[in-house]
Amino acid sequence: MWRLVPGQSLNCREWDGEAVLYNDVAGSTHLLEAAALDVLDALRAGPFDAATLAARLAAQLDAEGGELVSLIEEMLVALARLDLVEPC
Amino acid sequence: MLTVAALPLPELGARLRGDGLLLRTGPFVNCVRTDVASLAAGIAAMYADYPVEAPGGFVDFHLNLRRPRGLRQWLRPQVAFDQDGLAPFQPLPVAQAYPMLEWLLNWCVSQRAHGYLLIHAAVLERHGRAVILPAPPGSGKSTLCAALVGHGWRLLSDEMTLVRPADGLVAPLPRPVSLKNASIGVIRAAFPDAVLSPSVEGTSKGTIAYLRAPRASIARAAEPASPAHIVFPRYEAGAATRLEPVPKARAFMQVADNSFNYPALGRQGFDTLARLVDACGCHTFRYSDLGEALARFDRLAREGA
Amino acid sequence: MSGDRMPLLVQVLRAPHAVQALDLPGWSLLLRQAERADMQATLLALLEDADLLETVPDAPRTHLEWIRTGATRHAQAVRNEVRQILRALDGLDLPVILLKGAAYAMAGLEAGRGRRFSDIDILVPKASLPAVESALMQNGWATTHHDAYDQRYYREWMHELPPMEHVLRGNVIDVHHAILPETAALHPDPAKLRAAAVPIDAPDAAPGGMRLAILAPHDMVLHSAVHLFSEGEFHHGLRDLFDVHRLLGQFGPAPGFWDGLVPRARELDLGRPLFYALRHAMRVFGTPVPAQVVRTVASCGPGPLRTALMDTLFGRALRPPHPDCMDALSGPALGLLYVRGNWLRMPPLLLVQHLFRKALISPRKPL
Repeated sequence: MWRLVPGQSLNCREWDGEAVLYNDVAGSTHLLEAAALDVLDALRAGPFDAATLAARLAAQLDAEGGELVSLIEEMLVALARLDLVEPC
Repeated sequence: MLTVAALPLPELGARLRGDGLLLRTGPFVNCVRTDVASLAAGIAAMYADYPVEAPGGFVDFHLNLRRPRGLRQWLRPQVAFDQDGLAPFQPLPVAQAYPMLEWLLNWCVSQRAHGYLLIHAAVLERHGRAVILPAPPGSGKSTLCAALVGHGWRLLSDEMTLVRPADGLVAPLPRPVSLKNASIGVIRAAFPDAVLSPSVEGTSKGTIAYLRAPRASIARAAEPASPAHIVFPRYEAGAATRLEPVPKARAFMQVADNSFNYPALGRQGFDTLARLVDACGCHTFRYSDLGEALARFDRLAREGA
Repeated sequence: MSGDRMPLLVQVLRAPHAVQALDLPGWSLLLRQAERADMQATLLALLEDADLLETVPDAPRTHLEWIRTGATRHAQAVRNEVRQILRALDGLDLPVILLKGAAYAMAGLEAGRGRRFSDIDILVPKASLPAVESALMQNGWATTHHDAYDQRYYREWMHELPPMEHVLRGNVIDVHHAILPETAALHPDPAKLRAAAVPIDAPDAAPGGMRLAILAPHDMVLHSAVHLFSEGEFHHGLRDLFDVHRLLGQFGPAPGFWDGLVPRARELDLGRPLFYALRHAMRVFGTPVPAQVVRTVASCGPGPLRTALMDTLFGRALRPPHPDCMDALSGPALGLLYVRGNWLRMPPLLLVQHLFRKALISPRKPL
């Protein structure tokens, strides 16, 4: 299961499929693709596991199935390294 | 309003050697003290039109540029900067005193003025539209900036863009425009009437000279400008003149990378920069022909694109 | 320090309402002294706490708001850094005892209000040093001071690992196993300090089960005293003495605090630093110390002649390091105290060698 790191407000701006996001916990700023932002946004209602996220985001991300789940898992690992999400 | 030009030279020298010259640059009051005669002359020439504040007011930054004592002064004369007894930088040859002043005026702002988002960028205005030119060294920014100034654009700053968090406007900080190496000759040739400081060789950036800021720009230093464009310039010999859009999220990160204090401002820095990028067209600009470059910028100012 | 010759910054630290009498040049001077003493954010906090911010004229008020921005960011960075440290040391099953600035900040103490610092200091048992160092390295911290001499200086002669700097964040952690080196003349037992440590809440999002702690109130005061009066360098003398003042102000009212302070100092072999700390806090900041405590701690002090000499030396060293506050004697006074500081921490043979070496390796940054 994954959740947003407590304290993250997801202050961000999106332009043309890319986004910048302010990391409230680390004080850093990240350049993310819109899909990563969608994952983070979906986790506001979380915690969820990768399969649930895939189901919720299939329409938005215009993809589906096992491929989407592993894509989302990769994304979560990358986001965890940035202190944006954590396993729980 | 009293300006440096209105002070007789002996009076200027006396203030510099004594309690200090209270020099206003944009929003800041600097107390400058020095015993270096060539620096006094440089200030007289390049800061002639700048306001001098009366004593008894608040001073934002204190700068002492002095000849260090000791045997060394007879062998290789130097100038050293100290701020309240702290000497954070190595002394430089006394011939570099004026460039040292310019660098230190920037340094003071970049270290402390966290009421602004500070971007390492030139910013100029025409037809009510301000264009911000962030650029790492070597991009030709200073030549382009000096040329735009010579061409009639209002100078807000050549190195240090101040963005106000409260309203997103750019606060002017007009100061002499720095020119390095080849660009000195280019600007002299393009604008024979321009007033330049003497060239100083052997600095860490090569040969350096300064273009005096236009009196009209200094007079409007209290008038903020509305940012309309962020342009990343790149001089490339032989290149055709091209202005091309940059994705805004990328532009955001590039500007953050070129900021003196973006990390220090935290969330407010993020929001200020986001608002700036939102409000501006973001472009890269390649050029080799200065005349064409100026024309393209004029179009940008007139038409907004 | 007599009242009218007291530096402006000290006057204001003693009595923040003094700012109401300042003209604009006075404000310029106050801010400059505060900057040199690294106490700008403290000044801001004091003015805020005294409801004086609204009375500050616009121009200096602007500077105070610039300072606020830096202070807010610093606080955020500290919380995050402590969180990262807890995460790295999770699994070692030992409490992480914060020292000095980081302790004041994370425990929400008065002494933490506006207190800037650049490193996080922690105290761990000596036996756990290798495991702690290893865990930190695995999580992105790298040792500094690669010079073999400096490595020995820290590990063998001092009481800490060489400072470790995080490769991404750039923040530095100082891992101590004692508060004075084994080679020093005084021997406060670190096991006693650790046994008395007080747990505090970890920051949000820190791993559960990881215990964060600070020293007990007496021990925090004593550590602050020892840090101030046996360290060699006094750039932060005024700031550190103000820590002592604020700690005493916060803990003084607690039942048993004053009665237990001198006995605890004796137990930890820290009577002499406490003597100096109380003496100078009273002289500089007017810290209210009960007469009984003053009498009791007197026996921890040196004889009257030496006390007078140290008064002169410390008096000069504890002023803000601003040219206005320095006089012709300050340079030598600071030099003498630097030698003295190292005397307390290292045996004489090593002292000269270390000072000589240190002088060779301190470049100033070029432009």
